[in-house]
Amino acid sequence: MRVPLGWLRDYVDIDLTPEQLAERLTLLGMEVKGLERWGADWQHVVVGRLLTVERHPRADRLSLTTVDVGAGAPLSIVCGATNIAPGQHVPVALPGAVLPGGRRIERVEKMGVVSNGMLCSGDELALTSDADGILILPGETQVGRELADLFGDIVLDVDVKPNRGDVLSLLGLAREVSAATGAPVRPPVIELSEHGAPTADRLAVDVLEPELCPRFVGRLVTSVTVGASPDLVQMRLRAAGQRPISNVVDASNYVMLELGKPIHTFDAAAIHDGRIIVRRALAGERLETLDHVVRDLDEETLLIADPVGPSAIAGIMGGASSEVSGQTRDVIVESAIFEPVSIRRTGQRYALRSEASLRFEKGQEFRNARIGADRTAQLLASWAGGSVAPGRVDTHPEEPERSRVAFRPARVGRLLGAAIPASEQRLLLARVGIETAEAPPGTRVVVSVEPHPLVVDPWAASETEAALDGPSAPAAPEVFVALVPTWRRDLHIEADVAEEVARVRGYERTPGSLPDTPMPEFRPSPLQVRDRVRRVLAGAGLSEVVTHALVSPGDVERFRASPDPAGVVDGEADAGGEPIIVTNPLSSQHSMLRQRLLGSLLEVVRSNIRQGREDVAVFEIGKGYGRVQDRPHEWWRLGFALTGAAAPRAWNRPLVMFDLDDGKGILEILCHEAGLESVSFEPLLGTTRPSAASDGDQATFHPGRSALATARVAGLHAVGLRGRIGEVHPRLLDELEIRADRVVLCELSLRGLTRGQLAPVRAAPVPRVPAVERDLAIVVADDVPAAAIAARIRDEAGDLLRSVRLFDVYPMPGGGRSLAYRVVLQAPDRTLTDEEIDGLIAGVVAGLERLGGRLRT
Amino acid sequence: MDLATLTADLEALRDRALSAIADVSDAASLDALSVDYLGKKGELTAVLRGIGGLPPDDRPRVGAIANEVRVALEIALEERGSNLRASELDRRLTAETVDVTLPGRPIRRGTLHPSIEAMNEICEIFAQFGFVVHESPEVEDDLTNFQMLNIPLDHPARDLWDTLYVDLPGHLLRTHTSPGQIHVMRSTPPPIRALLPGRCFRYEAVDASHGFEFFQVEGLMIDRGTTMADLKGLLDQFAHAMFGAGRKTRFRPGYYPFTEPSVAFDVECLVCGGVGCPACGRSGWMTILGAGMVHSVVLRYGGLDPEEYQGFAFGMGPERIKMLKHGITDLRLFLENDLRFLEQFR
Repeated sequence: MRVPLGWLRDYVDIDLTPEQLAERLTLLGMEVKGLERWGADWQHVVVGRLLTVERHPRADRLSLTTVDVGAGAPLSIVCGATNIAPGQHVPVALPGAVLPGGRRIERVEKMGVVSNGMLCSGDELALTSDADGILILPGETQVGRELADLFGDIVLDVDVKPNRGDVLSLLGLAREVSAATGAPVRPPVIELSEHGAPTADRLAVDVLEPELCPRFVGRLVTSVTVGASPDLVQMRLRAAGQRPISNVVDASNYVMLELGKPIHTFDAAAIHDGRIIVRRALAGERLETLDHVVRDLDEETLLIADPVGPSAIAGIMGGASSEVSGQTRDVIVESAIFEPVSIRRTGQRYALRSEASLRFEKGQEFRNARIGADRTAQLLASWAGGSVAPGRVDTHPEEPERSRVAFRPARVGRLLGAAIPASEQRLLLARVGIETAEAPPGTRVVVSVEPHPLVVDPWAASETEAALDGPSAPAAPEVFVALVPTWRRDLHIEADVAEEVARVRGYERTPGSLPDTPMPEFRPSPLQVRDRVRRVLAGAGLSEVVTHALVSPGDVERFRASPDPAGVVDGEADAGGEPIIVTNPLSSQHSMLRQRLLGSLLEVVRSNIRQGREDVAVFEIGKGYGRVQDRPHEWWRLGFALTGAAAPRAWNRPLVMFDLDDGKGILEILCHEAGLESVSFEPLLGTTRPSAASDGDQATFHPGRSALATARVAGLHAVGLRGRIGEVHPRLLDELEIRADRVVLCELSLRGLTRGQLAPVRAAPVPRVPAVERDLAIVVADDVPAAAIAARIRDEAGDLLRSVRLFDVYPMPGGGRSLAYRVVLQAPDRTLTDEEIDGLIAGVVAGLERLGGRLRT
Repeated sequence: MDLATLTADLEALRDRALSAIADVSDAASLDALSVDYLGKKGELTAVLRGIGGLPPDDRPRVGAIANEVRVALEIALEERGSNLRASELDRRLTAETVDVTLPGRPIRRGTLHPSIEAMNEICEIFAQFGFVVHESPEVEDDLTNFQMLNIPLDHPARDLWDTLYVDLPGHLLRTHTSPGQIHVMRSTPPPIRALLPGRCFRYEAVDASHGFEFFQVEGLMIDRGTTMADLKGLLDQFAHAMFGAGRKTRFRPGYYPFTEPSVAFDVECLVCGGVGCPACGRSGWMTILGAGMVHSVVLRYGGLDPEEYQGFAFGMGPERIKMLKHGITDLRLFLENDLRFLEQFR
């Protein structure tokens, strides 16, 4: 909310600098987000007095003036306005002046006469809305003064929280200033002189929906002259961010800003029979609103209507037909209270929110319906010369008593962690207008309203405590009742009172302490595995990325969740379900929750290459999302993408590009880190036949360079890692406009990503006896997975096998390939004999032969 | 064979050998010489074989001479060998000289994402005070994200969280990590000291300080006597740990429907040190988190009796913390994943 300080001073005295005031308000919970110097952009604009006004010798429409600007000789200035006369005080922009909007004023020649500056209109100064005439200043204005010194102001930008609708007004903020400084509040003095026939003779109001409109106060002001508001009013409205329109409309806006009470004014001639009906819209009804949009009304909409039809959407926007215009003579003032939720919903349905509807949404002080109507009538009489008809029409004149909130000073202190005596708490509350009284015995304290009221009886509780503590304990509890000012709609429970005590006392006076309450039990961190994996991958040269979970439908379509073949990873959620769609997306690019990381990773590759990057090695640990029936389902995955030089390009290293095997190497270190057995690979697509599929693995991966990776948990049968790894299909790279020859892409499910813990490593002693190395070259068919051969070697060699490592692959001329393994054998405690070794190797070879292999000789 | 001849032969052999050793220019030839003269089939052995033809009295004399010759040759071989090795090493070292002014061979180095690292940093600081990590779903229901947090349907406070809704009835993308408070209270008996890091979503147009996806870390502490003073003390500790000891802090009223009283927590501007600058809106302060005493409504939805238990909650944006700490002025950088940005972090 924009608060012009000069206006605020109408309601409270302020002896602080603007900066000091801003800080005090901020510490009270009314955060001042900024201080704007209103009029700071009037440079070299001074007050001048017109000495002469003559017709320009060569242009009928221009006047030639001489102006006294205090210092130096009078200036001759050419002016095009017609509302000027000698003796008037006017704003003069001197040569060199800069006006709002950056307009620069220089000495110019106009039709043969030199003009030494410019006389300014209110519009040119952004002070009033009058663009036709020169702004005529009050006669007592001192000639030669800088305009900024006289009419400039400081505007506070106050962030009013949603629970403090009462502070969406100058009077409300003045009360907060008063709480901060102790200066008394001066509400506007409302004195009306009423004339003529009573309001009730010419205005009747029927509220058919009292729940949606608990109170409607109407007033009638006759014989108004619609015109411009006083300059000061226009300046204040401008500074507060409202455009001046006419004295009648300005009066309602002024009251809204002053009291926080939205007011609507109708041209009385447009209300048939002087009868206002507050009702819901009927099906098929339409209304042209003030913004000249014809709107189809729905039956949820509350209307201000007359016997003929709708006149306004209640609390939201008036209708064009009953708008106050230059011809308006009599004005009906509506000062009503509407049910906040209904206003909020209606505003959302019509996408219409205004300063008025925002205030209605936050709830209105019941009394303000009456006060707002009177204040508006007073201003209409003063600014538009209207005659106020006696009395009001009021559908609910009884105004409620102040509400009562019981509180226990001891509990307030317990919550705040500060022992504040009851007497001090009461004094603090008094500063925000909250009177307090000792609560009569039996008073209940409301601790909570939702989900259903929780009310305690301090006397009963006190007796229990007394019984526990023995007969010497005091019995009478200390309980007070806070009488909540009618404008405060945010105080309902004891904790609300505690906040008032704390904030008026000053949060900075809350002592700081470290908790001395019991510690919670140990809980293993769900982030442990994710964090370890992140560090390992960063160490391996991959950079971590975080991409959007919200992606485009095209991305989801291309990379749908497909369940991992052959079971899930131990303890991890399976991918699956229908994609989840955002029903109110910001853009179609981010309208669905992703199911896989692949598309996001490829986008990172694409955008970095576009930025001129040659090599990209990135990973992400992120979630996939789906809906299974009507339940959301989320799962964690690890993905990475590699492209370009596998090691940074350097003058002293041959260039080697990332390929599938680099990705596989990363899986190996992941398995080692996660306590998994060695990873095995099998062809992902089962065929190398080119495919034309547009989605799924076949479209994503290179048919001959993609694999399903699996690793089991060491010593257990459970799967600990499973996922797809491969080079991206060149056609997909083309479609996505990724300028790279090869991109390695991987997404996998890894045991522990969700909340797992790393199992401790079982360390074995280091053997002190020599190891034996044997090389075995095995010729097998192309479709026998290498992992099967290594597994067979392990099985056959048994406990004495220390390691098995593939060191050469050779395609055989007649088909099949030769895989050469170095096998290391070692007993923990003795040197193996040649016979033992030969026997083991023979067993291994026999096992491999059962797989269809033969020893290459 | 007589003594004189044999002696002369030995001396001749010695002279020849010494001369040959002196002439040798590489280690291999020197080894060959050693074999030629001193080996089993070498010349000295051959000469000594003639000793048998001498009268017994002469044998020791010749033996002594032969031994002298052998020792002389061995010494010469050793000296020559060591000289040769030294010069060969010199040659190798000379040959191996490189231009040490050239740069080395770079190693690929990965970096960790600043958003995640910030969350970890925050969690580590609070872990020192006994806080443990929990997680809760990102696709939440309206009940937990709003209503149980004292934000009823159609409440004006909902304007604080522009929400993305999904096609699952009653569900939305969580607008904050605060619904995690309900999950923790319902699963964990007090004393509770919990942290909830994670991704959040809002219907918010993207600019330098807003995004529709971002992270948050929620904190929750509940016990019988957990007070607002504890909150203040702990937040001060956090600010000092994160931004440096002695950094001034400010504890002032804020507003959240799920806390009462509510708190906004500021630290002295990291750019100007509190004097006032454009970065802090000339106030000298930067708001780093929101907090407050958990509202009784929230405690009750969490299954706790507000007459018995009380506590506080706080929530902060790890990206904002990083922005303040590293002088980053544009939030968008965090999700753009431009390696030129990410690789600046270690």
